[in-house]
Amino acid sequence: MTRPRRRRILSAAAKRSLPFLIAAIVIVVVWQLVVTLTHPDPSVLPTPWATAIAFVGLVRNGQLGLDALYSVARVVSAWLLSAIVAIPLGLLMGSSLRLERIVNPFVELLRPISPLAWIPMAILWFGIGEGGKVFVVFVGTFFPILLSTVAGVKAVDPVLLNAGRVFGCTSRLALFRRVVVPASLPSVVVGLRVAFGTGWAAIIAAELVAAHTGLGYLIANGMDILRADLVLVGMAAIGLLGFLFDAFFRALQRQFGGSS
Amino acid sequence: MTVGAPRAGKPLRIDRLRKTYATRAGGEVEALGPITLDVAPSEFVVVVGPTGCGKSTLLQILAGFLEPTSGRVLADGTPITGPSIDRSMVFQSYALFPWLSVVENVEFGLRGQAHSRKECRELAMHQLRLVGLHSFADASIDELSGGMKQRVAIARAFAVDPSILLMDEPFGALDALTRRLLQRELLRIWEEQRRTVVFITHSVTEALFLGDRILVMSSRPGHIRAEWKVDVERPRDVTSDALRDLERQIYAILDEELGRSFEQGVGNRG
Repeated sequence: MTRPRRRRILSAAAKRSLPFLIAAIVIVVVWQLVVTLTHPDPSVLPTPWATAIAFVGLVRNGQLGLDALYSVARVVSAWLLSAIVAIPLGLLMGSSLRLERIVNPFVELLRPISPLAWIPMAILWFGIGEGGKVFVVFVGTFFPILLSTVAGVKAVDPVLLNAGRVFGCTSRLALFRRVVVPASLPSVVVGLRVAFGTGWAAIIAAELVAAHTGLGYLIANGMDILRADLVLVGMAAIGLLGFLFDAFFRALQRQFGGSS
Repeated sequence: MTVGAPRAGKPLRIDRLRKTYATRAGGEVEALGPITLDVAPSEFVVVVGPTGCGKSTLLQILAGFLEPTSGRVLADGTPITGPSIDRSMVFQSYALFPWLSVVENVEFGLRGQAHSRKECRELAMHQLRLVGLHSFADASIDELSGGMKQRVAIARAFAVDPSILLMDEPFGALDALTRRLLQRELLRIWEEQRRTVVFITHSVTEALFLGDRILVMSSRPGHIRAEWKVDVERPRDVTSDALRDLERQIYAILDEELGRSFEQGVGNRG
């Protein structure tokens, strides 16, 4: 990438992030207004300032960083596991009608069951160790990645397949490797992005119920000890991290560019 | 091998070719034929026809994407059984690979052949130079205009050193001025690297400008209604009396055929 191009991308990023900054300020202002007008008990709704102080406190003593690290590590590992299984399966399903016919009924029957509904079974099977949480996030991330990959393969322009066949892809495998896979990559990236979002939501829910670490636990614990500021700090961290990850994936999507 | 070594095209023989499609109602629709045609080595044949006459179907069969219902197609005496790099193709919608750079697109076909990476790059750059796009070698496809994309596609098609080149309305999506420019570029490259060309178009002017021979197809089921050898030196002036006269004759037949396909359409609906 050349230098002027990189600079252009950076200034475009600054332009894009301005509306988000404004939205964040509006949220804080409205929050402060509600506190000023209704004088709630701080254990129900603390001020933004008090929450910010709690935030800094939790950052300083390392608690927030540790909890965030636990949550992120769980999501990333389960999401990667999901990708390792779902992407190859999706590529094969997209290219073989027979395989799709066999696998699709399973997908359509299991997909409507929210990953949250799996939490009790996950606790029964895996206890409250890491396995259960990884399992729940795996369930939540698997289907978006799989479906996006299948859709990507099926949406490959037939003209590109013909071009591949003319220009030397004589076997199905060569065509798959040199045309089908790269052509469906943008759609795979979309699936990875969507899945990360659902996985992030699922891990918080799983940690609310069964964990001693993680941002979900921070929130649940805050509620138990009537510390609304801790709950809000946890919520802010969840929102912020989720947003940053999504921004990262959007940038990745622009890199792979093209069709989507 | 030497870069851009002159090599002749190969002959193409189409023998009583027919193509029918099964309809949903269980019947059969005649799409094409019967067509019998001999294309000489290094000949530039242009096929003109009304929309829906099956000229694209013909090219799909020549490329090996479709199988004929009956009849034979021989490339250099060998029956066509599938796509081959020796019959390379330029598509109307460019069909470039958007995940590859310009030069990588041109190299795509070379990779399967017995070349080292360095040779691939040299051959690709040579073809890009011929279409004037060597300074765009590392650009991404999305950055190119339609005319530039089709020049990359032409470079890709010539790079694999095919003996037959199939062109499916390659300039159909381009504006008139770009189209003229690319017609000239194509002729210049073709005169340097004489290959057998089958070129499909619906533009009579394009046919007059390019072809050694012009074939006019009938309305569906498409067969060859008329053909002319064009013995006019290139570069041609399509406004010359001789070519104007030929143009009139071609249009007379095309109008007739178009009228017939219109009647057919009305008949089918009634």
